[in-house]
Amino acid sequence: MTRKNINTSAFILLGFVAFGLPLVLRSPTYLHIIILLYLYAYLTTSWNLVGGFAGVLPLGHSAFIGIGAYASTILSLQYGISPWIGMIVGGILAAIAGILIGLPTFKMRGAYFALATIAFGEGIRVMVENIDNLGPLKINGPRGLQIPPTHIGFGNYMFAGKEPYYYIILVMLMGVLAFTYFISRSKLGYYLNAGGEEPEAAMALGVNVARAKLIAMAMSSFLTALAGTFYAQFTLYIHPKSVMSLDFSFEIAFIALIGGRGSIAGPVLGALLLRPVSDFSRIYFGSTLPGLHLIIFGTVLILVMIFQPRGLQEPLSKFYNTLLDRISGQTRQGEVKHEYS
Amino acid sequence: MKIDIKFMGKLTVFFSILVLVAALPLIPASALAENVVKVGNIIPLSGPSASVGQQGKQAREMAVEEINAAGGIKSLGGAKLEMIYADSESKPEKGVAEAERLINTEKVNVLTGCWNSAVTYPTTAVAERYGIPFIVPVSVADKITEQGFKTVFRIAAKDSWWTRDQFAFLKDMEKEFKTSVKKLAFVYENGDWGKGFAEQWKALAKKGGYNVVLDEPYPSTSTDLSPVVQKIRRVKPDVLMLVSNAADAILLTNTLAEYKVKLKAIIASGGGHADPSFLKATGKNARYLFDIVEWETDVNKPGAKEANAKYKAKYGYNLAGEAVDAYLAMYVLKDALERAGSLDPAKIIKALAATNLTSGPGMIVGYDAVEFGKDGQNKHASLVMVQVNDLGKGLERITVWPKNARRSGYKPVFPMPNK
Amino acid sequence: MNFILEGTINGILMGSIYGLTALGLTVIFGVLKVINFAHGSLIMVSMYVVYWVIIFSGVHPYIALVIVVPVMYLFGYYLQDIIIKPIFKAEKDVREPITVIIVTTGVWYILDNLTLLIFGPQYRSIQNNPLRGKMLEFGDMLISVPKLWGFVTAVITAFAIYWFLQKTRTGRAIRATSLDREAASLMGINQFKIYNIAFGIGTAIVGISAVTLVPFYNIFPTVGVLFDIKGFIIVVLGGLGSIGGAILGGIIIGLIESIAPMFMTATWAEAIVYALFLVVLFVKPSGLFGVKYDW
Repeated sequence: MTRKNINTSAFILLGFVAFGLPLVLRSPTYLHIIILLYLYAYLTTSWNLVGGFAGVLPLGHSAFIGIGAYASTILSLQYGISPWIGMIVGGILAAIAGILIGLPTFKMRGAYFALATIAFGEGIRVMVENIDNLGPLKINGPRGLQIPPTHIGFGNYMFAGKEPYYYIILVMLMGVLAFTYFISRSKLGYYLNAGGEEPEAAMALGVNVARAKLIAMAMSSFLTALAGTFYAQFTLYIHPKSVMSLDFSFEIAFIALIGGRGSIAGPVLGALLLRPVSDFSRIYFGSTLPGLHLIIFGTVLILVMIFQPRGLQEPLSKFYNTLLDRISGQTRQGEVKHEYS
Repeated sequence: MKIDIKFMGKLTVFFSILVLVAALPLIPASALAENVVKVGNIIPLSGPSASVGQQGKQAREMAVEEINAAGGIKSLGGAKLEMIYADSESKPEKGVAEAERLINTEKVNVLTGCWNSAVTYPTTAVAERYGIPFIVPVSVADKITEQGFKTVFRIAAKDSWWTRDQFAFLKDMEKEFKTSVKKLAFVYENGDWGKGFAEQWKALAKKGGYNVVLDEPYPSTSTDLSPVVQKIRRVKPDVLMLVSNAADAILLTNTLAEYKVKLKAIIASGGGHADPSFLKATGKNARYLFDIVEWETDVNKPGAKEANAKYKAKYGYNLAGEAVDAYLAMYVLKDALERAGSLDPAKIIKALAATNLTSGPGMIVGYDAVEFGKDGQNKHASLVMVQVNDLGKGLERITVWPKNARRSGYKPVFPMPNK
Repeated sequence: MNFILEGTINGILMGSIYGLTALGLTVIFGVLKVINFAHGSLIMVSMYVVYWVIIFSGVHPYIALVIVVPVMYLFGYYLQDIIIKPIFKAEKDVREPITVIIVTTGVWYILDNLTLLIFGPQYRSIQNNPLRGKMLEFGDMLISVPKLWGFVTAVITAFAIYWFLQKTRTGRAIRATSLDREAASLMGINQFKIYNIAFGIGTAIVGISAVTLVPFYNIFPTVGVLFDIKGFIIVVLGGLGSIGGAILGGIIIGLIESIAPMFMTATWAEAIVYALFLVVLFVKPSGLFGVKYDW
């Protein structure tokens, strides 16, 4: 078998496993954890379009989650519009917001950019907390909006069991991964890459780095907002501190960074590895040693950054490549390795 | 294709670890024991509400120790109560995740929690979906018992009762001390709780013919509250009404004293003002403050003093009203389980709905019975107003209202003497 | 009229204390070019250190400086040396040391929750210190004495640091490294030692600011979070690496917090601070007194 064949078969196998999982695993707890896992993987992959490909460090992305969540929730609660449509509206609003934020901030360097995104994120959150009604729209400030679990049905983006939510987020995750793959291979991807490494050189060659970054930002914010709607429909309660918090923004960014930003599998890997750490330490230690799960999380952050600053996807993908080599008997270049005698 | 045995070995180990790690959530965190009633408790054990979360845990533990030592649930063959605690971190999505896990993996028979109203809303929805009974000891938001859920039972009074009683108290004080109160100032934390109270205050003020001279929400995480205190000083209200969490309650009280703000009375709303750290951190600045709570250590009920002494000996500080709600919740649960005689959730829910608990170690609260209405709200939950004062033995909280609950021999100080 | 004057004075005093908390951050940020997200936690740790020193020895809070300053200096020095230096070495050629940001966040989570675990969540304060609750009266106005002490401390510390950076050898080495680290090391300056010293100094300044806060503030595990973001806003406002900028930036924030609530609710004042922050970032990112760095 060639490398390529094995690679492809692995993906297909993974796909089968992912789609078949709910049929085998009936435990709602497990499904709930995996759904959240996929959600984070989705969020980190969307974040990666800006944080990884465009080479900057946005730390305010939860604002987009909030925009998506509030847009679809307000439209469905007050005007009876289906959350699917509300989701798209939220996405567009978030994309506009993303461009508005990106326009002035992309000129800034590193730390300043990060601080600016924090300020935007927190600023939006504080404003939403202060507003009870925006004209006819009921925002309810810090008390948030609750979605009554009635009107079950696909059109209403509301389901009784967990399985439909599982499939929705799985499809979204695969979609965003595929999207990222194509972008990375596209002209836009190369522009972003060049702009990230050597912006002056890129611009000298005629690449409109600024425009590329803005496009990436718009895509990232649009996609992130879609997850906001998912979150709202899944947990049925949103308020500024849950959907727009600094903690949320940080968590997404850090998971992507630990997994390895700039790569396609990195953010997903980060989610796969870190979410369980966070969940399990809370489950097993949360009641006896409060806060221990955060200590563990912090330690993992530090250790990974000291030993694998490019993210864990580096050693893992090396491992995967070694695996492919051994099984296929080929190396990356396609030569056939000598057999051992 | 040559297969390297050593390499395959490493591979197998790697994947086995992966599978084992992945299977962890399927393993219940608690040991499998016979003949127990599993109670899941979702409370904030870390994060900004950690202090009150810990107190709730301690109160529950004290009650459960007593119940189990006295023989457990007799109608279930002496089954003991087994408590499983989950940290909500004061975040709704964590509360929901924990509820799911407690119900499906740990297979708890009952849930209690969650202190933060924002966590309680969606978590009770989860319990409702699975038909698991959920006892809410403390969260006061009206909405919790107004969602039409059949599985939710709340012990504490709703916040509309709190605000109603605060105003009733005010009117009574005006009458008793022949002092008129015209101007009110509302200062409250900018969260769910504070805003909920403020809305009702405004309506009650209108009804009572008061003039609201200040309506000031402030960020609970403020580092300096002098500007807010300045505003209070400027409008010269007669009475100041507060809703605060612990850190800001301390800051506000100290700043009010520093700026020598002259008021006829300050009425607080429990929460931060009732936290054990509050009196320690404010000292005499808190003197003459009125606070509305579920319970106070001097309430005229048998067993109250003993329970408080026991708690204080164990944990180092007095029971607060909210801790008492948690303590009582355990006894309400015990009573319902005895009557249900089964671990079937539907039977437990039915037993809870029929509760009419009037005696027992749990009934150290100021009111006489726990009885749930159709909406799951404890009909008789009532509140008491305390005043902080020093009667020679150091600062303490003294029950002053309703008049029949007042500590004998104490006459409340109203209006405050200007210091 | 008096209210406005009183509010202004309070804003200046409180603001100078904010500036003092941010002063350590600007030194670290200016020299190492990293956002130290553990900044708030360092404030919190310092406050606990001050608290315990006073509890055990009963001294006047400002005397505790004698212990707090060296302790926090060493804490910062070794924090940088042990945890952050390895990252720097690994990331030598990266333009923006982003992994350091993650590491400092890890430190933040660890410090805050370790404190929660060891000392518990309750709110502590020093009840009997001689500064507590004292106010000076000027007619109708009241000025807080502990805040006044804080103001004086902030100004003295600012001048002390300025003098140190301008006049001493180590100070000049620090400035050189912050302007151009490669050139500085070509001049024989040990880059990493400078980083350690700078971090140590920054943390020692944080210790000083903790001493000013303890007389009138609460101490609990998450107290640092309140000052964290504010610190960054002040540093950007004032200009990265600018000492006067930190103090002045703090005063501006203090003034906004004190005066804005006179015309709107305190919650909107918070929003204004963020709005101002964003305006400064766009219009003059180097801040009021900062120098444009090319990094």
